[in-house]
Amino acid sequence: MIKQLSELLRYRDLLAQLVVRDLKVRYKNSVLGFFWSLANPLIQVAIITVVVKCVMRVGIPNYSAYVLVAYLPWMFFQMSLMDASQSVLMHRDLLKKVYFPREVLPLSMVIANLIHFLLAIVVFFVYLLVYLRTPIVVTWLFLPVLVLIEALLVTGLTLFISCLNVFYEDIKYIVSVVLNIFFYLTPIIYLSEMVHAPLAAAGRGSLFALYQLIPLNAIIIAFRKMLLVPYTVPPHREIAAQFQNMSNMPLDYRFLAIAAVLSIAIALLGYAYFNARKWSFAEQL
Amino acid sequence: MIDSSIEIQSLKKAFKLWHGRPSSLKSLALSFRRPKPEVLWALKGVDLRVSPGETLAVVGKNGSGKSTLLGIMGNIYRPTSGKVAVRGRVSTLLELGAGFHPELTGIENIYLNGAILGIRTRDMRRKVDRIVSFAELDKFIDAPIKSYSKGMVMRLGFAVAVQVDPDVLLVDEVLAVGDEAFQAKCYDNIAEFQKSGKTIVFVSHDLDAVRRVASRAVWLHDGAIRVDGPTMDAVKAYTSSIADEKEDRGERDAGKSDAA
Repeated sequence: MIKQLSELLRYRDLLAQLVVRDLKVRYKNSVLGFFWSLANPLIQVAIITVVVKCVMRVGIPNYSAYVLVAYLPWMFFQMSLMDASQSVLMHRDLLKKVYFPREVLPLSMVIANLIHFLLAIVVFFVYLLVYLRTPIVVTWLFLPVLVLIEALLVTGLTLFISCLNVFYEDIKYIVSVVLNIFFYLTPIIYLSEMVHAPLAAAGRGSLFALYQLIPLNAIIIAFRKMLLVPYTVPPHREIAAQFQNMSNMPLDYRFLAIAAVLSIAIALLGYAYFNARKWSFAEQL
Repeated sequence: MIDSSIEIQSLKKAFKLWHGRPSSLKSLALSFRRPKPEVLWALKGVDLRVSPGETLAVVGKNGSGKSTLLGIMGNIYRPTSGKVAVRGRVSTLLELGAGFHPELTGIENIYLNGAILGIRTRDMRRKVDRIVSFAELDKFIDAPIKSYSKGMVMRLGFAVAVQVDPDVLLVDEVLAVGDEAFQAKCYDNIAEFQKSGKTIVFVSHDLDAVRRVASRAVWLHDGAIRVDGPTMDAVKAYTSSIADEKEDRGERDAGKSDAA
């Protein structure tokens, strides 16, 4: 693996060129350019907020911020996995003609999406500070750690997916189905407390531990807890009564640590798996 | 041996052909017996040594293993057995600018293509002007290459590959591209290459081009070397075998044959 990594390092300019190519090509012929990559999550979050506030009547102030803070890391996760599943197949002509470390193909997709994610986070902070005027909290300092953990998780998964998709093209369909499930399994449109409260009431608190063992869940919960102040339920709204006994839970660091360990393991395993099979790409395609 | 540029010993390469291979998970799950792959030996024991500065042509019919041999030299395939050693920087002449992106400009594609061939971006910066002028694309270099003609794309691809300055240049079919004037330029460049002691391995059906550039030729037949020697001898042996085959096929089929 060390040998593979040092070779990857020698080809870092190729990685950079591919990232630049991806960013340039994506918006080459669009007038609004980068705006489009923001428009999608903003509209999604606006719809979710309207549904949750006006239809489901959850009276939590600034709910849009709680959705957005989870939706942006979700977007990074989803877009990377979708892009990466095609990344090796897309370059089949090149793979048969010239040698380069094949892992640059999925990795460049992850990095391009990571850059989009980071830009969206900047916009998110502007929204927080300028529009919602929420206070600055010290746990913002954890942001790079959270991004790193998620990036490792995403990298590992994309290496598995892009490789498997060469041999079984069903993978891209499976990925999109599984992503669809995970969108609802992950606390994005709802709060993790909404999962915990009924489980705890039924005496099944351990199931909530299981819920947090899924790395993506622990990561998204951490994003919400670290970047935003604990949510409040306004007492005067009778419609919010059902949430009154649902106290805001502090972040359980143990699960974030487990997610970090799992993400590192997935990244290493993904890299090893990819390296073991990358030699057969040119013969398979 | 230290003094050879490419050294290949008893190289064998097998490809697995999966007839009805489950290329989807569904068919994998539904098939009770896993189909056995048919093993195709593309190379059946090849020994080859190429010295620095030598230009080697590989000729042979379709399916004789020429491209596989080139692919193994270019580190695209791994040998099934045998030893392969290639010394120095290897560059591949990509046909028709494979690796170019139509939406990017000529300049952007030069950097991208250089990176694919393993050149650092800062080294590319020094080569860019020479590449642009070699390709004769000064006016168009900032336009996206989707607006280029086919000939312009080929010229750009060729210019990048030869300016990469490799020790070993691998060429599959395309040695000279464009109109006659540009082809002459390509041959001049190849000649310069040869003078400066670089190694070229050239796979082609174009026997005129083979005779023109190669000092030595290998005739590959059915995954094994039939003749290895001076270009004229190898090409003559190859062409006479084609002629024999044509005769064998008889008059009726002679018109259709495309063995060359």
